[in-house]
Amino acid sequence: MKLAISIKKLTKKYGNTTVLKEIDLEVKQGEIFALLGSNGAGKTTMLECIEGIRKYDSGEISVLGFSPESHEMRKVAGVQLQSTSLPANINAKEALTLFCKWQKVPVRLELLDIFGLKGCLNKQYKAMSTGQKRKLHLVLAVASNPKVIFLDEPTAGLDVEGRAALHNEIRRLKQGGMTVIMASHDMAEVEALCDRIAIIIEGKLAFIGTPAEMTFVGNNNSKISIKIANGLSKKDFKWSTFLSEENGYSIYSTTSISDSLLELLEYVKELKNEVLDLKIDRPTLEERFIEMMKGGKE
Amino acid sequence: MSAFIYSVTLQWKLDLRNKGILIVYYIVPLIFFALMGTVFTSINPMAKDTLIQSMSIFAITMAAIIGAPTPLVELYGSEIKKAYKVGNIPLWMAAVSNFISAFVNIFIVSLIIFVVAPIAFGAKLPSNLGLYFATLIILIIASLMIGTALGLFVKSISKLTMISQIIFLPALLLSGIMFPANMLPKSMVYVGKLFPSSHAMGIMTNSAPEVSAFLPLIVIIFLLLVINIYKLSKMKIE
Repeated sequence: MKLAISIKKLTKKYGNTTVLKEIDLEVKQGEIFALLGSNGAGKTTMLECIEGIRKYDSGEISVLGFSPESHEMRKVAGVQLQSTSLPANINAKEALTLFCKWQKVPVRLELLDIFGLKGCLNKQYKAMSTGQKRKLHLVLAVASNPKVIFLDEPTAGLDVEGRAALHNEIRRLKQGGMTVIMASHDMAEVEALCDRIAIIIEGKLAFIGTPAEMTFVGNNNSKISIKIANGLSKKDFKWSTFLSEENGYSIYSTTSISDSLLELLEYVKELKNEVLDLKIDRPTLEERFIEMMKGGKE
Repeated sequence: MSAFIYSVTLQWKLDLRNKGILIVYYIVPLIFFALMGTVFTSINPMAKDTLIQSMSIFAITMAAIIGAPTPLVELYGSEIKKAYKVGNIPLWMAAVSNFISAFVNIFIVSLIIFVVAPIAFGAKLPSNLGLYFATLIILIIASLMIGTALGLFVKSISKLTMISQIIFLPALLLSGIMFPANMLPKSMVYVGKLFPSSHAMGIMTNSAPEVSAFLPLIVIIFLLLVINIYKLSKMKIE
């Protein structure tokens, strides 16, 4: 698959503080890719460097072969910023018309309908809800039918309904062949939407892979719940640490699921007991993320 | 060109929707005109000779220095400029469209004063209409250059309110529209020469001014044009 974005050795400093340290990253065309990290990790800075609105100190960035500062890049990329605004008295129709005219593309008013803003056609920006403003900025970002779109915390401040609607729109954009790069704090959103993720910790890439790979690589939070006919003792094993007993299940945490299963089943066999039920719960993306933030970098 | 024209007409619409702008562009200058027209002409019938000039200068100075910078500070001092940048809208566009929109609004107010003053207050029409309107246009441009500079350099509305007043009050009081400038202390006369309103009042009330009388206004326009272009070219998003 062709590359939409290629980043080599990207470094960005604010004064003496290095916020991005020699980042290497590739995003394939047609992917939904998320940048994750705690507040101040450098996600927005990195996005803004790729978007061409923030200068970087060293490294190379290419968006579909174009430099972020180039005029060509503006034609192929749409941007929804984390923190942005429009004149207070402008309405949705005028904003869309203004942006389309400067991008020299036909004014696609139907986009307002598609994104659930039909009722806001003549509503002034200052009177719109947070969700409506977010959607309007998303409309403006996709109005020129870009090949790559950057979304910085697209669902921040949205209600459940608005979030679901926006997720559907993002999926629809992907189906249309668009590459989506987003920064987010919402793990459920990332797990549901993204093909791949990158985790930034203190300006460095700590992980790149699929959400599933992210949960597989760490076993520290994996739990094995086992239900035995006569119950298990509350003892710890080499690979399994007893946590609790709930509804007849003995719950163990483990650092190695296979080793843990083997020793537990061996023990059950020794007792000439019978396994009634067995459940394995891998850590969620959020649990893995928190684990990594606490210092368990891969 | 289509984008440019749309931006200018949109700014015009946005200005008309903005109550704050409407008050400064139209309501206060016209109320002041009505009051002063009534009071000045009753106290001193000679005021009728310069009522159109003085009230137009008041309206222009107020709108250009207090009103026109507001939309610019709201845009350049906020996240809107980021949205414009990523939307491929050049940052100079906001300053230019605001300038044109403000020019049209201010010219309309000046025309209202020009038409109403003789009818309502028996004001005398300027003896040289061509000279009057030429000076009026140059004054609007020079005043809007000051307003644009304020909009580009000042970062917040609260600071703008203070700085605008610091410029507006002397521009008005030292211009000669409230009382003859030659009654002022000499030092104040020199300070007054820094503002376009003083020069415009001098030209508008003189039936045959020399061409050199326009020079200070042209210099003010040219200097501020260079400064404004420089500021726009150096404007950063970060």
